Amino acid sequence: MLKHLNTIICILSLSFFSCHLFAETELSMPILSGVGGDFTAVDGDGKTIEFSDYRGKVVVMAFGYTNCADICPFTLGYLKTLYSKLSLEEQQNTRIIFVTVDPEYDTPGHLKAFMAHFNDNFIGLSGTREQIDYIVSLYQAEYSNLSTTTVLTDYVRRVNPKEGVDKKEDTTSLYTHSVALYLIDKEGFTRSLEYTGTPKDEFVQKIRVLIDE
Amino acid sequence: MNSLKIYINPIWMFLLLFVFISNSYAEDKPNIQFEDFWIVSPPEVARSAAGYGIIRNTGNEADTLTHICTESASVMLHKTEIESGMAKMIHLKNIVIEPNSELVLKPMSFHLMFMDLSDDFFKENAEITLYLEFEKSGRFEIKLPVRSSWD
Repeated sequence: MLKHLNTIICILSLSFFSCHLFAETELSMPILSGVGGDFTAVDGDGKTIEFSDYRGKVVVMAFGYTNCADICPFTLGYLKTLYSKLSLEEQQNTRIIFVTVDPEYDTPGHLKAFMAHFNDNFIGLSGTREQIDYIVSLYQAEYSNLSTTTVLTDYVRRVNPKEGVDKKEDTTSLYTHSVALYLIDKEGFTRSLEYTGTPKDEFVQKIRVLIDE
Repeated sequence: MNSLKIYINPIWMFLLLFVFISNSYAEDKPNIQFEDFWIVSPPEVARSAAGYGIIRNTGNEADTLTHICTESASVMLHKTEIESGMAKMIHLKNIVIEPNSELVLKPMSFHLMFMDLSDDFFKENAEITLYLEFEKSGRFEIKLPVRSSWD
């Protein structure tokens, strides 16, 4: 009888250990070398920030632009739902960052208002074209301008007032851009590349693993 | 014997012929229908928005969507394509809806792209009138509700 009990305990221990090992393997997120790093940008309040300012927080970062009608709002909607699955404490330890590839149109104030539609805590980063290009290259992302057209603004939403610019006309640009969601740990290292196709519960689990590190 | 009289009655023959011709004629036409069209409520400061839904052709002949317009914005049919991790937007013209098939407009795929939105029209719970012109079926007018996004 004792022999049988020992066998059962052994089997249970082994299965627990292998399950644990399997779970660890599934959520293994090694540092993605060469993807990411520190950079300078401008936040929604017009303040210059260093990416290292977010050290100590888990960051989910995406590239896009506000004149994108389909994928960018869809991505931000996905991140809105993802963020809502985190507890308040987890939210405090997480930053959702959207870096524009259209800094000429997406001024800091405009980005801030756009992001607030999804969540007041979401951060929109703009900057000079050089700053944006540097961030894009750091994260091995890509973007390119598809077209730029001039539009008459008489009957169009006056959403992006710019001092010294004729309000009768403005430009609208369309871009191609990378769609990856960068999961970055508290030390600023990129640990995983996700997409809007990633099941949200799986993504949340990965964020939790990085919060708990 | 009585039933035979019914079959050879000229009026019955004419009616049968009429039904036969009508059916044959109907089978050679496209039949365009619209389902579940809506617009994602855009941020207040947005200048563009996306619309989704299904265009279904239940007829036995193809038809071509030649023109889309609305009085509240400029609008085009676009398709988002993901290639090597990059999102690319393609402007589509004269898209053919094959017989007994459908064109599904959904996020990260085919969608209506509304640009240069007019002030006040694209608020939540508003309704946007869209006109769609088909080569054979002519012009349709549909109403698209503006709904809160992704909730």
